[in-house]
Amino acid sequence: MISRTHILGMGHAVPDRVVTNDDLSKLMDTSDEWVQQRTGIRQRRHIGADCGATDLAHAASAEALEAAGLTIGDVDLIVFATLSPDIDWPASAGLLAAKLGASAIPALDVKNQCSGFLYALSSADAMIRAGRARHALVVGGEIHSTGIDITTRGRDVAVIFGDGSAAAVLGPSPDGTRGLLSTHLHAQGKFAEKLWLEGAASRNRPRIKPEDLEGDDPSAFPRMHGRYVFKHAVTRFPEVINEALERNGLSTRDIDLLIPHQANLRINEFVAGALELRPDQVANNIDRYGNTTAASIPLVLYEAIREGRVSEGNLVCLAAFGAGFTWASALLRW
Amino acid sequence: MPPEARLLSLGAYLPGAPIDNEVIARQVGGSAAELLSETDIQSRHHAGAGEGPSDLARRAAETALVEAEAVVADLGLIVFATATPDVTFPGSACYLQDKLGAGTVGAVDVRAQSAGFLAGLDLALSFASVPGALAADGAPRILVAAGEVLSTGLDESPNGRDLTPRFGDGAAAAVVGEAAHGTRVAALRWYTDGAHAEDFWCEFPASRRYPLRIMPEDLAAGRHYPRANLEGLAPIVEERLGAVGHEVLDAAGWGVDSLNCAIVDYVEPRVARAAANAVGVANDRVDVPTEHFGHVMSAGLPLRLAVLRGGLAPGSRVLLAAAGPGLAWGAAALEMG
Repeated sequence: MISRTHILGMGHAVPDRVVTNDDLSKLMDTSDEWVQQRTGIRQRRHIGADCGATDLAHAASAEALEAAGLTIGDVDLIVFATLSPDIDWPASAGLLAAKLGASAIPALDVKNQCSGFLYALSSADAMIRAGRARHALVVGGEIHSTGIDITTRGRDVAVIFGDGSAAAVLGPSPDGTRGLLSTHLHAQGKFAEKLWLEGAASRNRPRIKPEDLEGDDPSAFPRMHGRYVFKHAVTRFPEVINEALERNGLSTRDIDLLIPHQANLRINEFVAGALELRPDQVANNIDRYGNTTAASIPLVLYEAIREGRVSEGNLVCLAAFGAGFTWASALLRW
Repeated sequence: MPPEARLLSLGAYLPGAPIDNEVIARQVGGSAAELLSETDIQSRHHAGAGEGPSDLARRAAETALVEAEAVVADLGLIVFATATPDVTFPGSACYLQDKLGAGTVGAVDVRAQSAGFLAGLDLALSFASVPGALAADGAPRILVAAGEVLSTGLDESPNGRDLTPRFGDGAAAAVVGEAAHGTRVAALRWYTDGAHAEDFWCEFPASRRYPLRIMPEDLAAGRHYPRANLEGLAPIVEERLGAVGHEVLDAAGWGVDSLNCAIVDYVEPRVARAAANAVGVANDRVDVPTEHFGHVMSAGLPLRLAVLRGGLAPGSRVLLAAAGPGLAWGAAALEMG
């Protein structure tokens, strides 16, 4: 019985095309100053030709497997977190599996928006510890740029989102001590439509029609009640981080690195302040990638490892809040 | 019996009255008799105006909670398997969570098409069997819902002749948790092979398509409707379904003759029956959900299990197996509680 899992390797992939705030200001009524002030975003990546989240995830997964010293043949579970699947159905996990060369593997998509990676991590952890898998590929990947309205009409949402993917190989902790200490998952569907994409909606008959793509507020693009989301985020983030710390008999002073979901730098600054964390205890990269939803947390973790900000024995806290609403946290002893 | 993670209860819900082949024939052409002979499906159910999978699943979940003698406060997680969510995001699990009044319990959508219930069950059994995996005290209950509203995404013109008659709407829900009594899952396996993804799919909206994932011309071309090469897939599905059926029986250590029944689902019932026969189960012990209410992807297996279990004594052995788009397929060996 495996009592603890750990991240054995990570990888990442983002599109080459950099889209700055100035680039967007040529397509819509916005400015670099306005976007930076409200979100902390300077630029994001967008695809420039047909490319699915699984294409980015393929590169990220290959890198993660190499870093873990494993091959796809060693993996017996793929959990793909995305809210922007390559196609409507089937799910993206199977497409990724095929790209990696696996022809019969348990592979499913987890759709949980900004908390997607943490729900996926928690799911893979449970299945490994239950003996249902030994090594799992846990991937977050999103192509947002094809689903946002890059005009003045859609600017509130369009400036925020970026494309990207990052992957982690989860497996048995090398020493039984380091690794994932606990995960904490929450949701509150009461606020589902404060940040949502009605889009193709099975509850509508027909689920999508030409008018959904037109008008002042097209339902085929995401809608956000920004202030509402902000207000809940700054409450739920500290709450779920403290829940994880208390569960493990730890306090905020023990956190070596907090990696919050990258939705808005102002939210993360507020959370860091509320928890009385020093700047060196928090990692952000939203300035370069925008909000990549399910990919944001592993993208930051990947960079933090590469930059030497995570050392053996460090306590790393991952936390997310977003559409659903859903929110979650995880503590890792690195 | 020692406590272990089990399937503790089951609820099912089919919306409205059955819709017969006459109605579908008026949309897609042909006669009712022709549709029946092409599909082996007599009727299906369609959700009412504004009803999404979470509405159907709510009915099923309420039944399942009562039967498990559980209340929403006992839940540690809600898992919702669907290929046809109420809206694009958030997932149907979030909507169901609210409709059940489940506070701030975690809720997650999983996507594995017709293997969705099996994948969700596997996940729930894992969470239920690992102490502390849900960071909850005691032995939390996990609600596994499977629901689809496919009918709102079908081509109601003659172009839909091949696939539109084959799908239906419905939902089921199960409560999973550690207990000394209940249905034991003796073995469970599920798989995906993305090499066949585009042989049975609904392409649009497609995030991978630059610069926009859905455009008016895609709708005009009907690329937001399901498409399939059923003829090409049939032998592959038959082989995979048969193999996974054998695999779970071997893993459970059960001889095929000890099975009381096999519930085997695929959009083409004759392929499901052929796979069951290949495992060694004769047609009189095979039940194909799609024959009863069309293919409801994730929900077909639990919808029929909820009905058939009334005639199964405790200790009865049931094989569940399903395949669908993805390809995703899987099977489970159940010892009824």
